[in-house]
Amino acid sequence: MMFRRAVLLFCAGAGIAAAVEPALPGWDDGERDALESQGWVAGGILLTDEPPPEATATAEPAAPIEMAQPTAAETAGEETPPDEIPEKFWPAYFGERPKNFLVDPQGLLSPADHRDRLGFLNYHAGDSMIDLYVYVFKGEQEIPGEVREEELVERFFSQGRPAAVVYYYMSAPQRSVLYLSPSLTDTVSAAEQRRALESSVMQAFKDVDPARQIEGFLVQMSIRIYWMERMLGGASSPEAAMPVMVRRPKAPDIPAVPLEKYRPFLDDLRRFVMPAALIAPLALAALAAGFWQRRRARHLFPEFDVEPRLGGAHAAGVGAVISFASATLPPASQRDQVPDYLRRA
Amino acid sequence: MKCPRCVQRIHRAAPGCPHCGFSIADADGRFGGEELSLRLLTDSAGILRRGERERVEAAMERVSRRFPQLFVAVYTGALGEISNIRQFGFWLLNRSAFEDLPADKPNEAGILLTIDPESKAAGIVFGYLLDAFLDEADTFECLSRAHAYWLEERYADGLVRALGHLEGVLRKRSRQARRDPEHFQRKVVPPAMLGDLVRRIRAGHCNVSTQQPTVKEEVGK
Repeated sequence: MMFRRAVLLFCAGAGIAAAVEPALPGWDDGERDALESQGWVAGGILLTDEPPPEATATAEPAAPIEMAQPTAAETAGEETPPDEIPEKFWPAYFGERPKNFLVDPQGLLSPADHRDRLGFLNYHAGDSMIDLYVYVFKGEQEIPGEVREEELVERFFSQGRPAAVVYYYMSAPQRSVLYLSPSLTDTVSAAEQRRALESSVMQAFKDVDPARQIEGFLVQMSIRIYWMERMLGGASSPEAAMPVMVRRPKAPDIPAVPLEKYRPFLDDLRRFVMPAALIAPLALAALAAGFWQRRRARHLFPEFDVEPRLGGAHAAGVGAVISFASATLPPASQRDQVPDYLRRA
Repeated sequence: MKCPRCVQRIHRAAPGCPHCGFSIADADGRFGGEELSLRLLTDSAGILRRGERERVEAAMERVSRRFPQLFVAVYTGALGEISNIRQFGFWLLNRSAFEDLPADKPNEAGILLTIDPESKAAGIVFGYLLDAFLDEADTFECLSRAHAYWLEERYADGLVRALGHLEGVLRKRSRQARRDPEHFQRKVVPPAMLGDLVRRIRAGHCNVSTQQPTVKEEVGK
């Protein structure tokens, strides 16, 4: 009973002690200044003179920033109208079959770039059976809704040489579109077209300059068109035919040997060339004749009078006998031919 | 040569084995006394398929072409015990008539290769024409070449291999015989010639005794 009371008194005392929080430590007079005069206070970055949060909570809230309210059109989700191709360029783009391989009526390429790209496309046309036509647009431009690209390609490029038509967007090669003339669409699969376009776009993105981008794009597209040509001839796709390793190993540098150093030796050698050229075929012919004669050779044995043995009229020459009953009994162990009654069982 | 039954060395021209008394009559009693008609390649055991038969026949034909005096015969069949294969080969080459063999080739020029696939044994017997040129070691080497194939029951491959080696041995012996025929002739010389030799030696002794002076004559001088 006494023990229970003692326990209860102890628990009550401990609860009262826990309810009273100890006071936070504070600076004594001049203690902080003395420490700061030494240049560094341990834990100084944690110490702050700002008032506790309860003090700021009582401060007045900041005035709301005045912002323009969204318009009705914006709240309806309408986007900015796309940058359409000016109508004056429509005939040049979509009115007829292009006269050359590079169609840029808006002058998006500089004259030098235009000349270089056109020169490359002409070179490609001379080297390939598939022409490459490129329409150049601004990066954000949209094809007018009235124009149907597939129908245009079918109308303009169904006659003449097979052609690949690319709608290229400057600074935005990822928007490029590839169309093939009707004579190619049956042979070149859509997957192959997609791969060609993707690899060309990847090549374009290796540079940030728009002019260099279109250059890389066209070079890669020309390579892919070469593989399309191979497919027309029955070859497999470049992914299957090309090796995985693209980087070509550098050939070891072999120091050039001056030929003059060996000139006397070569002069001596030249004197033996003619006799060797005459003798070598003769030697070869002799070897071949010898081989042929050896193969056709007939071998004869002298015939001796042999007295019959064991009553055999024709033969008594009993040769060897070999057993192949077991691999553990090799021929070497059977060399000594003994009668069977002497052979171990 | 050795006796087909007791494998002991026997004397030239012996009508029967001096050790066990074996002769062709014993073989006749065991395998039959009448003449037998066979083809050069007789596959009684049925171990060769069609394509394999052609390969073996081609190898046999090649030996016959290279050595116009000789022919090769192959017999396969179940004979029972290993000991029988020597006696059977000896008997078969003496008693058989080969249907597809030209008449100008006697059995003396034959080489018979016998295979018993049941007892897993093979042996070679040859005629008197090759008595001076082949010995047991030569034939053993031929069979050794085929051993690995026959272990795997590739009988045709083994036969072709054995015949190929036999061809090489015969070619070598033929060249040696062309250079030194007496060496081989001495192997089969009849015993009667030895008597002549003894007589010549005795005659030589007599001639020497008549020509040289005696001791008394020397002293008298």
